[in-house]
Amino acid sequence: MSAVIKDPPQQDQRTLVSLRNLNKHYGDFAAVDNISLDIQNGEFLTFLGSSGSGKSTTLSMLAGFEQPTSGEILVNGKSLVNVPPHKRDIGMVFQRYSLFPHLSVRDNIAFPLAIRKLAAAEREERVDAMLKLVQLEQFAHRRPAQLSGGQQQRVAIARALVYEPRILLMDEPLGALDKKLREDLQDELRQLHRRLGITIVYVTHDQEEAMRLSQRIAIFSHGKIVGLGSGYDLYQNPPNAFVASFLGNSNFLKLKAQGNGVATFEGKPLSIRLTANLQTDQDVLLMIRPEKAVALSPDQAGVDPLATGWNEVAAKVTETLFLGESQTCAVVTSSGTAMTVKALSASGMPLKAGDPVCVRWASADACVYTQWSESDLNKAAGAH
Amino acid sequence: MLLTPNAMSPRLRWGLYSVTGLIALFLILPIVFIVLLSFGSSQWLVFPPPGWTLKWYQQFFSNPEWMDAALASLKVAVLTTICAVALGVPTAFALVRGRFPGRDFLYGIFTLPMIVPLVIIAVAVYALFLKLGLTGTMFSFVVSHVIVALPFTIISIINSLKLFDQSIEDAAVICGASRMQAVMKVTFPGIRPGMVAGALFAFLVSWDEVVLSVMMASPNLQTLPVKMWTTLRQDLTPVIAVASTLLIALSMLVMFIAATLRRRNQARIPS
Repeated sequence: MSAVIKDPPQQDQRTLVSLRNLNKHYGDFAAVDNISLDIQNGEFLTFLGSSGSGKSTTLSMLAGFEQPTSGEILVNGKSLVNVPPHKRDIGMVFQRYSLFPHLSVRDNIAFPLAIRKLAAAEREERVDAMLKLVQLEQFAHRRPAQLSGGQQQRVAIARALVYEPRILLMDEPLGALDKKLREDLQDELRQLHRRLGITIVYVTHDQEEAMRLSQRIAIFSHGKIVGLGSGYDLYQNPPNAFVASFLGNSNFLKLKAQGNGVATFEGKPLSIRLTANLQTDQDVLLMIRPEKAVALSPDQAGVDPLATGWNEVAAKVTETLFLGESQTCAVVTSSGTAMTVKALSASGMPLKAGDPVCVRWASADACVYTQWSESDLNKAAGAH
Repeated sequence: MLLTPNAMSPRLRWGLYSVTGLIALFLILPIVFIVLLSFGSSQWLVFPPPGWTLKWYQQFFSNPEWMDAALASLKVAVLTTICAVALGVPTAFALVRGRFPGRDFLYGIFTLPMIVPLVIIAVAVYALFLKLGLTGTMFSFVVSHVIVALPFTIISIINSLKLFDQSIEDAAVICGASRMQAVMKVTFPGIRPGMVAGALFAFLVSWDEVVLSVMMASPNLQTLPVKMWTTLRQDLTPVIAVASTLLIALSMLVMFIAATLRRRNQARIPS
């Protein structure tokens, strides 16, 4: 048992895996476009992106099922590129479980050990420890087809961990499960990672899942990593407009810069974060998260003066929605820019469609981008 | 839903029942006749038989010519089965997994013997073996039978390989098995129903093959259907009915095995 469950990991920030200028081309098409990334030892890193963004191809190259067109994959400084997948000492959990249908749960988990010709006694001991870890002791003699989806995926995880690989790859492992079960398994997975201290590279298109599980998220788009960091940083301070629109919801305002901390919107001045090298009349993009903005009726706005560092834009309510714990208010400004304001239901929002409204936000909460393309602002973009 | 049994008028329903019954009878009667005749006491194959006897069976089993032919048939069929599976498995892998130009064309080539008239294949193979001086050998029988059996074997294996999720094989590889080990330990068990069905098809094709066999046969080596064919042209003895009955019995046994395996396999997959 001690062979499998190690002491709590020391926070060792050593780089375990390095991807260097990794490319994968299919003819003229670049599925993975010059990716460089360092994965820390013991970290839980998620590749997040829509289908066709290159995240699964990158994982496949890590596993060894795809050969990079060019570039390097280093583990502890040694190249993996010419190492066949069965010698990479990597564990992998697949989307469709991919258990061996003709073997029992126990034999499925013992398979990697049998291939490595481990002595029977040690094999039994390790399989027992794994069955215990994933809480499937009483199902050891069943066939995979006799298990539920969640149980099958736990067998797959046990099979991938039993030989103590350095890295565990997970390719949308919970995609086929329903929401409740998925959340339970996400919690189990997070605890497992904490207990074992193994390096996990996880692929998903579900941003909530990525947020729940990972220490760092790499956001993929068109074969490139367009954002890398903790879920908190990526959400609060997206590095670019694409990440801002891809993660969560966002309001975009197009402004004209008037200096490094001032810009105009619909002819009126707004304060923005200090941004270096802004030219007068340069186009800049302002991003405000709906929950960072406040919607006030003109009466409320009258009694509640604008605090320093805050901005206010006049608009008209187009729709209010009650969503249970939260509520949203869609507004449109005089120039036709649509915005959404989100607030907790408890705070109240006495507005209805057609009402004039003042939208306020703190300039520190709004991100400023000087470069973007229109397609970045479209949530559906990201895949090829 | 006009054609569900309950929605039909009773008249139509009974009409369909009787037509189906007649067709089934039409298919089964020759078999019933030949089996009954093999036990009949008349040596002129009179129906209905005036009495019952086992003497034709006695004659069959005591005649070395018949026994040799039966044994040769069995040998040819077993060897054909082995060769068809040995060739069919790698071919099916190439046709399903391979990514190369001309793959579909190759599939067409491999299944061509199902479409080309048997006589044409027979003449061609005969001409070739005549030139090589190999007619009448076990080799020529097996090679010619493999040609016609292979498409059935390949199609059967291809079907199960297409249904097999390749990520299961990949899982074995990432667990530490080499690609070959993964195929042997994981993929083969997974596609076994298709491999077994392909083997049984090959056996059946060879077991009752007559056109090619007539061409390949020599006085020293002939299969059961060839022996029946040549005997038939000399005299009409009920021993032919015995040979037919045995031919049918083994074929039905093979079909039965195939059906049992299929059922057991389906039972393993939960709904």
